[in-house]
Amino acid sequence: MGRSYGNCWLDDWRCGSRLLKGINVSTEEKVPDENRRKFLKLLGVLVIGAGTVGALRSVVQNIIPPVENVESSFPTLTLYLPNGNPVHTSDLIVNNPQIVVFDYPLQNEPSFLLRLGDSSNNDVEIKSTQVKIPATGKSFASVPGVGPYNSVVGSSAICQHLGCVPPEIHFYPPSSSSFPGKIHCACHGSTYDPYSGFSVVTGPTQSPLPNVNLVYDKTNDTYSATVMVGPTIYGHSDDLSGGQQITTAGKTVITTIQ
Amino acid sequence: MIKLEKENLIEKIMNDPQPMPRKVPDYMRKKGGIWFWTGAMIMIVFFYEVITGLILFFYYQPSNAYTSTENLLSLPYGTLILTTHLYGAYLMIGLVYLHLIRNMIVGSYKHPRQIQWLSGVLLLILTVAVAYFGYSMTGDVLSSDATDVGRGIANGVPLIGSYLSSIVLGTGTELSLFSRLEGWHILLAGTILLLFAVHFYLAEYNTIMPKAEDVNFKVPAIDKEKPSYKPWYPYNLLYMIQIALFTFALIFLIPSILSLLPSVPALFSPFPQVAATSPLASSVPPYPPWFLLFVYKELDFQISSVLGPFWAVTLFTGLPLIYLLILPYIEKSDTLKVTRRSIVVSTAIVGLVYLIGLSYWGAAYPGVPVPNIIALTFFIVPMLIVVPLVYYIAKRIENEKTSYGTSVWKIYTLLAFTGFMAIMTGISIYSSIVYGNYYYYIASIFTAMILAISALGLYALIYGLKVNTERKRLSNKGYILFGSIYAFLAIAILSIISVIPPTTIENQALYGFGMGLIFVLGGAFIKLYRSYVFNE
Repeated sequence: MGRSYGNCWLDDWRCGSRLLKGINVSTEEKVPDENRRKFLKLLGVLVIGAGTVGALRSVVQNIIPPVENVESSFPTLTLYLPNGNPVHTSDLIVNNPQIVVFDYPLQNEPSFLLRLGDSSNNDVEIKSTQVKIPATGKSFASVPGVGPYNSVVGSSAICQHLGCVPPEIHFYPPSSSSFPGKIHCACHGSTYDPYSGFSVVTGPTQSPLPNVNLVYDKTNDTYSATVMVGPTIYGHSDDLSGGQQITTAGKTVITTIQ
Repeated sequence: MIKLEKENLIEKIMNDPQPMPRKVPDYMRKKGGIWFWTGAMIMIVFFYEVITGLILFFYYQPSNAYTSTENLLSLPYGTLILTTHLYGAYLMIGLVYLHLIRNMIVGSYKHPRQIQWLSGVLLLILTVAVAYFGYSMTGDVLSSDATDVGRGIANGVPLIGSYLSSIVLGTGTELSLFSRLEGWHILLAGTILLLFAVHFYLAEYNTIMPKAEDVNFKVPAIDKEKPSYKPWYPYNLLYMIQIALFTFALIFLIPSILSLLPSVPALFSPFPQVAATSPLASSVPPYPPWFLLFVYKELDFQISSVLGPFWAVTLFTGLPLIYLLILPYIEKSDTLKVTRRSIVVSTAIVGLVYLIGLSYWGAAYPGVPVPNIIALTFFIVPMLIVVPLVYYIAKRIENEKTSYGTSVWKIYTLLAFTGFMAIMTGISIYSSIVYGNYYYYIASIFTAMILAISALGLYALIYGLKVNTERKRLSNKGYILFGSIYAFLAIAILSIISVIPPTTIENQALYGFGMGLIFVLGGAFIKLYRSYVFNE
């Protein structure tokens, strides 16, 4: 019994057609019927397809970034030094040439902490102003300075143009030769004015930096971040989604860069 | 044979390219042929690992290793991807050891496969290393124990210890540690891929290792292609897909079942343990992932505390590795008879006993120091038992007093599994009566299905063994009937799991369980199809 008899499987068409014509009828029980085979193939596609659909569905649903807010409302986080003590006014240097940032409202979202002063490094009181958002034409009331001299302000440190973060974007003290008293982003040249609500000075940015509302506790001499004011943080559909909660309960730690 | 060995392998490969992939003998797709495909299974698991691993990188942040890993569990199907990635890795390590032991016993390290064997041993080292870095990326308490042990070993390297430690595990900050772990994990996985290519090419070049009786038990064991060999497409391709589906089923079923069990020991839990900094960390015994427990126990030996961790590891894991590396060059006899190579067979078995024994010891008594005399007893006693036993059995087989081929162990294993599934079914039916929860109903249906299948298998095994096994074909209608049942079940399971919201860990485990069953059905379907169309 060679290949042309019992082993005549359906991938061998010439052999198969001979069988259909009635040659070697004695082997017909072993040879699959064409329609049955097609039907079985269809069933196979269904089974493997079920596995594929199930697998693809889970993968696709997994890689869509979660949109629900990780926090139901803005957390109130007290600013702490890396050594574990709360930040006091004396820890903040007026017109600090170094970059001081803290994560707020979510992890890995740096925000500036600035104690602003004039060119001779005396504290300057920062008042609330109406800040215009060129992108939308709307405006918002900026957050006034806090602290004993009303000179401490905060804002998102993520550039509103294309999302550059410190050290590319940082504050230049009033004594600096370039961009005195401004926040400038070295990526594409956007400039913001921290003395008037982080408003836009030069483009390409079309939006001021979102302000961090800071609250000063007079009795303990501590600072807390409570809410974001103004435009949404760069790259987010909502300030409280698209990231992860800060896990140190009630605290956020300041970091000094450079 | 001597002449062949002196030829330059690279020259032969470059100047005399061989057909790829080669046709393989039909017995590789028949009963027992799965032993020829352990390497293919490793490749399948590896590709699964690569894909799920890259999906995990969408969310992993070295700056918050632990919280971002935990956060994966709350993403849709994140639990499924994380736990199957972990268990896929476990399966890969298990299969690598299986592949090693199998090839050691059949003697496939012999001429002309020496280089192939060496690349395989390197792949073993790389696999364990990738698993080490991968596990450590979670930042949980087991991983920090593992990185501590790793630092201890690296720091113990003479002269360059601290440099090596900082190259491998960073400069001490969390960020640098987890960025390094991430980097090494991918770098070594990429190296595995490259070495895989070499290993596979050599496997094609040297041909598969045929059954020893086909080559009269003599090296070189080369498969000479016969005209009757069937082409790769569709015969081997479908067989490969069948193996792949069964392998995926394992990857999905094991962690899903473990996720549904109430309390799984930390070593086998599919989830990250508590954070290393958490106060609860002290409640978890201080040990590394299970596949490194043997190293961990070796460090408890009295002699290890004298030598220091680096030299202890070099001694205890270096010696077996050196043995494996030089094996093709010291065991050069030209016989492939298992019974004539009792030394190698005994070392394979004794090595496995050491590996399992040390791992169990490390799990049961983590960190308990071991006096030298006990360690010596541990190493000597198995050798004294196994080596003479192997020689004795070899002699009996040679004299044809014992025959191989009884599959009684299958019955015992399946019996144990059926009993386990019966208990699981009982628990889930009880729970669905007491709690009346929708998901318990689904769990009851699933477990009852598996119970029915394994009971059927048990029946077939017991009664099929008495009838001598001339393979029977179903009738044509039978194939259509079974095919329809498989397809119906697959669609039914897909519909059931589609309505489960992927919100909790349990729901995702049920989804994974259903996916595992669909893969089982897919594999079974292809087996059926091959039987129907190819009579295989």
